[in-house]
Amino acid sequence: MSDDMPDFSNVKGGSSSTATKIYVVVAGDSLSKIAKREYGNANQWTRIFEANQDILKDPDKIYPGQKLKIPPK
Amino acid sequence: MRTKILFTLFVSAALALVACGKNEEPKTGPTQAPTSAPAPSPAPAPAGIAVSGVTAGKALGADKKVTAPTEAFAAGDTMYVSIDTTGSGTAKLDAKWTYRRGDKVAVVKEESMTINATGPATNEFHVSKPDGWPVGDYEVEVMLDGKPAGSKKLTVK
Repeated sequence: MSDDMPDFSNVKGGSSSTATKIYVVVAGDSLSKIAKREYGNANQWTRIFEANQDILKDPDKIYPGQKLKIPPK
Repeated sequence: MRTKILFTLFVSAALALVACGKNEEPKTGPTQAPTSAPAPSPAPAPAGIAVSGVTAGKALGADKKVTAPTEAFAAGDTMYVSIDTTGSGTAKLDAKWTYRRGDKVAVVKEESMTINATGPATNEFHVSKPDGWPVGDYEVEVMLDGKPAGSKKLTVK
């Protein structure tokens, strides 16, 4: 941080929408992790799986770069 | 001589038949083309998403709209910015939160999300700081597909 400017490194942020969000999978992601981040509850992974059955056949197999539809909360 | 006349009549008749056939050929081409080509249709509605409103506040409803609009916050508040959009399609929304002191600017947080809307939608970004916001001037800038779409100047007192 330059000079006497405050430290904002611990700021937490988030987002949500009434529309379907598009999430791009990154390395290390799982549907549970994404559900935890998006809905605050890892058990909601089934919602993401069901919304993406056109591209997901196995909930344990997602790949970096895949674009997943995240239904609104 | 009679044979020659008959031959001439025969050839003339044959040529006339061929000519008649040729005259009919062009009719089949142009008449088929319009039926196979798509009929002109009205211009489609403009595609894409536009931002119709940006509101800041300290509380959010289930509809993602700010329930307590304000641009003045306390140190322990969560800052919300609600973004109304119209239109349909896919678009990327960004929110960049900054802190300003004189001519110095510090980036507080940058967040982005991609939405796939089928109609009007409301979207929100929020930030919080566990140890409280430093007093001062802040700004949140909203971008739609990388282009400025609105901003709000905020203060923490």
